[in-house]
Amino acid sequence: MTSLRNTSLLTLAAAAILACTRLSSAQNVDAAWLTHPPADSWPAYHGDYSGKRHSELTEITPQNVKDLSPAWIFQTNQSLEIKATPILVDGILYFTLPDNIWAIDARTGHQLWRYTAPPNKAFHIGQRGVSIYKGSLYYMSSDAHLLSLDPKNGKVRWDVEVADASKGHWATMAPLIVGNHVLVGASGDFDNLQGFIRSIDAETGKTQWQWDATPPVGTAKKATGGSAWMTGTYDPDLNLVYWGTGNPTPVLTGAPRPGDNLYTCSIVALNPETGKLAWAFQPSPHDTHDWDAVETPVLVDGDFHGQPRKMLMQASRNGYFFVLDRATGKSLLTTTFGPVNWSKGIDKNGQPIPNPEKEPAPDGRIIAPDEGGLTNYRSPSFDPKTGLFLVNASPSFSIYFAKPADGTYGWAGADYGVWSKSVLEAIDYQTGKIRWSHELGDGRSGAGVMTTASGLTFTGDVAGNFLALDTSDGKTLWHMGSGGHISSPSITYELDGHQYVLTSSGGVLFAWTLPRAPHSGTHQAE
Amino acid sequence: MTFFRGTNLRKSFLALATPVALSAAIVAFGHAQNATPAAAARPRSTVGSQGPLPVHEVFTKASIDSGGTLFQQNCAFCHGKDAGGGESGPDLTRSKLVTSDKNGEAIGAVIKSGRVEKGMPRFTLPDTDVMNLVAFVHSQQDKAMSQTGVRKGVDVSDLQTGNVEAGKAYFNGAGTCSTCHSPTGNLAGIASKYEGLKLEEQMLYPSDAKAKVTVTTSARKTLTGQLSYIDEFTVGLTDSDGIYHSWPTDNVRYKVDAPFKAHVALFDKYTDADIHNLMAYLQTLR
Repeated sequence: MTSLRNTSLLTLAAAAILACTRLSSAQNVDAAWLTHPPADSWPAYHGDYSGKRHSELTEITPQNVKDLSPAWIFQTNQSLEIKATPILVDGILYFTLPDNIWAIDARTGHQLWRYTAPPNKAFHIGQRGVSIYKGSLYYMSSDAHLLSLDPKNGKVRWDVEVADASKGHWATMAPLIVGNHVLVGASGDFDNLQGFIRSIDAETGKTQWQWDATPPVGTAKKATGGSAWMTGTYDPDLNLVYWGTGNPTPVLTGAPRPGDNLYTCSIVALNPETGKLAWAFQPSPHDTHDWDAVETPVLVDGDFHGQPRKMLMQASRNGYFFVLDRATGKSLLTTTFGPVNWSKGIDKNGQPIPNPEKEPAPDGRIIAPDEGGLTNYRSPSFDPKTGLFLVNASPSFSIYFAKPADGTYGWAGADYGVWSKSVLEAIDYQTGKIRWSHELGDGRSGAGVMTTASGLTFTGDVAGNFLALDTSDGKTLWHMGSGGHISSPSITYELDGHQYVLTSSGGVLFAWTLPRAPHSGTHQAE
Repeated sequence: MTFFRGTNLRKSFLALATPVALSAAIVAFGHAQNATPAAAARPRSTVGSQGPLPVHEVFTKASIDSGGTLFQQNCAFCHGKDAGGGESGPDLTRSKLVTSDKNGEAIGAVIKSGRVEKGMPRFTLPDTDVMNLVAFVHSQQDKAMSQTGVRKGVDVSDLQTGNVEAGKAYFNGAGTCSTCHSPTGNLAGIASKYEGLKLEEQMLYPSDAKAKVTVTTSARKTLTGQLSYIDEFTVGLTDSDGIYHSWPTDNVRYKVDAPFKAHVALFDKYTDADIHNLMAYLQTLR
């Protein structure tokens, strides 16, 4: 196995020479492409390796966004909500629902092909998208298989089992592709299962390595869990992948698993060639509230208190915002970004100290945030110009119960949300202070966030309005009622020299662009 | 996000004269770990036993099995693998709506129309699928209610750790409850209306309470009614004749009257003991 760093340097050099003449196509999506995605593509879940969900496109601005108009609308005719981030390569969009993949023309929204998975009994909680590399699409099925498909027609080339669905595993993630490594995980916290991150050979489907988050099932006094069920991020210079792991199991009862329960609710840095752990940081030691730390580990290079730093930022489900040095995993800043009542403060490593009084109990404990967390899987965004970390937050309170009769398997308790609202928080990463807040309504919004270099923030509210805000102050510049619940963040790309924004609501995909002169209608067809 | 909660069923329905036809089928889906067989006869008095089993249509094993598969695919993430509650949906095995349903008339309606305001989507499924889901949910409730001594969830008996006097003092003092509530006025008989978890949830935040709104239009016309819709851009009310009106928020002045929102300010102030004591006091208001 060659060192990835060398190959990517070579390909980068080659790419630089070819940049002017390259014909974009799904065949060419290589390490260089994924490292520096062209403006007319969105080739991976986060758009690029950093997880910032920030685009350099500037055609749509705070001044003209009020004119944003629909280019086309695509209807899946399914009752499930789109939770996927579509990817775009060579004018074709690929996106998913559980058991479904669509390829559609990004110019018209018409379907090119659709793949439907054979019926299976796994959880169909969501599917977050496919990934692409060198002429193959990679898709995690609901029942935790990894499929390699031909982007031309959706034909399955190979299918390997990643985790055993009959034991309770299921999958939702878009794989992260680094070199020839397709990095995947699975989930399932209704059962006591071992979480892991696995590297699979992009060409053959063979396992290259696996990193286990927790000891084998049945190890005395040890937690199971730690599922890696969201997409990680990657720093090509440090050659480390960063991943958040899920909560320990049993979920709400901590007694059978004393201690911190490493590496559950953790942010881990792994070498993509070997799977070797470089460092770990634990946002929720000994979690008893289902607050997995799988939210995007956003990679930012910039100044921190006067020094240039390679940082990792996470707004975590447990209510804390963390800034780490991503070379070492050392804490630079830990702060809350909403109501949090379960900790006794922060330890010397910048990790919260859980208050044992706030573990679920037979007569109930009032807990902030609720089980859904102060934020959840929907992507945040980082805007380099303002230094703002933008995240959908849900200030919330709940009551948590656990008693011996609940046992020590799976959920092992019960929790009930009492109240929640949603607000977009703009966090200054240097101080952790909230620079502005934009109220999104009572209940939960799951729209995720995307920012652009012209100073726009795209998100959505609880009522189902798509929103474009001014990143500098959070003021609304454009909105559109979507008629459904928004469960995915926007993406943006250039097509035929113009910028498009893609949003989804319910089972419908919307493409937006600025109005242009009417089509002349003089056909040149022979 | 929850839209209804099963309450303790001991007193929620009348004892039924007819013997109950219990489907003895044990639902076997892919990863049932420790399915508890339905008890042949209910012991007289066990922790969490709730009186007679509900009466409903007898469903076939095939229908229950098929419903189990559909449940895993469409419902389990919110309601739990065994329908016992999960990520955001309530425990269906303790649902009064399920208990009252005979043959899908109530459960089916919820599946088809969703509880959109509570986060449950509408499901477009063929009628046979809906009926199979109904069969599965009933079988899970029957099974849960037949369990002895290991009833999961929250029972009325779990919520008896508080002190009545301390609760009363908190009610009239630090809790400021008495500024809006009176044990002989709007809270009279509250413990007969709700009990257990339902009472505690209502106490913490009465999520069904309706807000009022007064809107003053640019023409100086004032309307008051029930707040029916509100977002950043539009405010809508339903007037006393049941007629709906809405306005752009930037064209009118409006004032929302939602006294129950005062509960939100308390979440930060309560200790767990305060909540348990308040519960003890409220349970005396029969």
